[in-house]
Amino acid sequence: MKALFALAFKSAWARRFLLTITLVAIALATSLLLAIERVRLDARTSFTQAVSGVDLVVGARGGALELMLNAVFHAGGSSHTIRWDSFEAWRRHPAVAWAVPVSLGDAYRGFPVVGTTPDYFRHLHHGDKKPLTFAAGRSFAGDLDSVFEAVVGHTVASQLGLRTGERITLSHGMTELSPLHADKPFTIVGILAPTGTPMDRAVFVSLEAISAIHLDWVAGAPTPGLSIPAELVRKFDLAPKTITAFYLGLHQRADVFRLQRAIHSYVQEPLLAVLPGVALDELWSLLTQVETTLLTLSALVVVVGLAGLSATMLASLESRRRELAILRSLGAGAPEILLLLATEGMIVTAAGILAGLVLLALALIPLAPLAHGYGIHLSWRPPAASEWMILGAIFLSGILSSLVPGLRALRMTLVDGLTPRS
Amino acid sequence: MIRQLLFLCLFCAAPLAAQTFPEIKWEELVPKSWNPAALFKDLDLSKLSDADPRAMEAMERLKREWDAAPIEPALSGRRGRIAGFAIPLERAGEKVSEFLLVPYFGACIHTPPPPANQIIHARASKPLADVRMMAPIWVFGTLEIKRRETQWGVAGYAMRVERIEPYQGAPAPR
Amino acid sequence: MIELAEVVFRWPGQRKPCLAIERFHLAPAERVFLHGPSGSGKSTLLNLIGGVMRPAQGRIVVLGQDLAALRARRRDRFRADHIGFIFQQFNLLPWLSVLDNVLLACRFSSRRRERAGNARAAAERLLASLDMAPSLWRRPAAELSVGQQQRVAAARALIGRPEILIADEPTSALDAERQLAFIDLLLSEARATEAALLFVSHDLRLARHFDRIVEMQAINRMAGEADR
Repeated sequence: MKALFALAFKSAWARRFLLTITLVAIALATSLLLAIERVRLDARTSFTQAVSGVDLVVGARGGALELMLNAVFHAGGSSHTIRWDSFEAWRRHPAVAWAVPVSLGDAYRGFPVVGTTPDYFRHLHHGDKKPLTFAAGRSFAGDLDSVFEAVVGHTVASQLGLRTGERITLSHGMTELSPLHADKPFTIVGILAPTGTPMDRAVFVSLEAISAIHLDWVAGAPTPGLSIPAELVRKFDLAPKTITAFYLGLHQRADVFRLQRAIHSYVQEPLLAVLPGVALDELWSLLTQVETTLLTLSALVVVVGLAGLSATMLASLESRRRELAILRSLGAGAPEILLLLATEGMIVTAAGILAGLVLLALALIPLAPLAHGYGIHLSWRPPAASEWMILGAIFLSGILSSLVPGLRALRMTLVDGLTPRS
Repeated sequence: MIRQLLFLCLFCAAPLAAQTFPEIKWEELVPKSWNPAALFKDLDLSKLSDADPRAMEAMERLKREWDAAPIEPALSGRRGRIAGFAIPLERAGEKVSEFLLVPYFGACIHTPPPPANQIIHARASKPLADVRMMAPIWVFGTLEIKRRETQWGVAGYAMRVERIEPYQGAPAPR
Repeated sequence: MIELAEVVFRWPGQRKPCLAIERFHLAPAERVFLHGPSGSGKSTLLNLIGGVMRPAQGRIVVLGQDLAALRARRRDRFRADHIGFIFQQFNLLPWLSVLDNVLLACRFSSRRRERAGNARAAAERLLASLDMAPSLWRRPAAELSVGQQQRVAAARALIGRPEILIADEPTSALDAERQLAFIDLLLSEARATEAALLFVSHDLRLARHFDRIVEMQAINRMAGEADR
């Protein structure tokens, strides 16, 4: 057996130029399939880990997914706002244990700015009920004396090389051409520990800070001739008037349906209350169809690669008739011939899979930051169960596809015997 | 003799497993004294159209009754299995560690939510796989009564979940 | 050693047999020259003796074993254990070294491996006595000349001392002076191991080195009518 493997290896090595081409095809197909599966798994994990311990997310009436994208993933543009007194009313509801408001719309170098209260860091959990912790510094104080304090997520700090004590300038809106709030810089007072969620990519400031930087702005642009310097903002009324959404935590989680219905019946303002778990499930059913299509297509690519292996081996059989006759004369029978060819195919497939894994690891380098923009945390981790199954399936298919030339070789030797024509 | 005993044990194992988790029906969660239909004794609902204000008001009263639905204290500590639809609350990866169990599908979409005594707040120490919103499941565990901290409404049911199974029709005969 | 009786072979799908031999035999340690032009059925006869193909009728007994009684796997092993083959050319796997090519015979036959003792040493000894310089032993077989390759093939056929050697036109690809040298080497090695040698060739001039000459056309009733 070991001898046969060594023979198969040397035989494959002798034909390495031709086989390398199929190896590359298998490698590319493998890495494509694995990449899609990895993005699928990591996206699923990232999305389900994004928010934990929150019973309801409440925002302006509209689409539930849009609300989730806004409030949880800080994406999707936030043109709809709700009134501050709606938040106050629901915060005081007897069923509610805690409430945290968020306000979106500004950015810092491409990262969304989230206006909120210090309660955010106390109540918002992620993953499996994991609380937010600080890698450095502390939360912003949220009082009028410290309006221009900011907390940044871990990715923001590491990508831009920020440390506590440094100053940053926010921009209005999320695009590159957004005008800057240049006259009102913020000081970083805290950096969050990594969470693997969209919180890593956000900059957190108080709601008063959001009001302050927009004091002399009207309709999205600075008012010409009116410029209020940073030191004087405290003299103005910085209380928030509108917010994008708020999170609610209840005393009893089973109350969530009643409260949701109550919020939907609120006559003072049309509101939408969403159960995060339910909304994410709906997002998932939407995406599952895309996932399935992508996976099927890449599986087909793998089939093409393996068909190439089969074809290459078949094509080389003609020139191997003498070789096979020699082996027959030495006592090799049908099982040995089959095993030899299957082993050759297995070696090429295994090498292709390994190369594919290397390619995937290399591809993660540019892919990971790209995926981060969508809230997906692509991690360097060993393969998950489904990924192992994919690798196993590719490997088995490789052996199967080399049985085709194997069987053909058998038929050839049956006819040739010890004295082939060539 | 030993072999016969072994066979006997194996034959009894399946129904025995069902026995250690007797089925709990949703009706048992409702105290027998509670009868919201009594509210509408004097109203002949078949004669009202949907837009009739009395129908709307009846609906509102029903909803309020449901919100105030009392719990059955005798169920505290009851071990068994109950079939229902899960609404995931907390996840650990793809598995679900905490969910709400309701008797019918659609409790979170546009139909009215179930009465307070028909919602079970279920928690599992080991996160569970294959908990999906649209698929009914058997939940095996122990019921508990949770006291309220505020004055809004009544106490509720919770459950410590040991395991779940997909629901495939009526339970095995006991 | 080898006994054929009333053997008839027919290609699948052919009505007429291409081989019909009433009797053929090879005695132990005998050196037989089998002569016949192409198409006389030589290859078929070798395939039958090697157990690679089965006759439609007749008995083939090799070393006392009726080949028809063996299943295909056993026949493969029998062939590996007891017969060493040398072909006209392309005897070797070009991507294996000279030594590995010789040792291939021991990989497929544990009997021959045991009879060789230390297989590697036996291979080296054979290569040396067949005039192969040690510097060539680790080279890939593809780098050798035809004459060198034939000698390596002979070493492979001889290692482990199989009882029967079958050489199918082994010198036809060699030039005249090397032909004689090769036959000399082969015969002396065969004598040393007391193997029977069946030497197939179309060149009658080589026949004088052998104990007996057999004409294919004499023993094969269907010679000249074969399709191959």
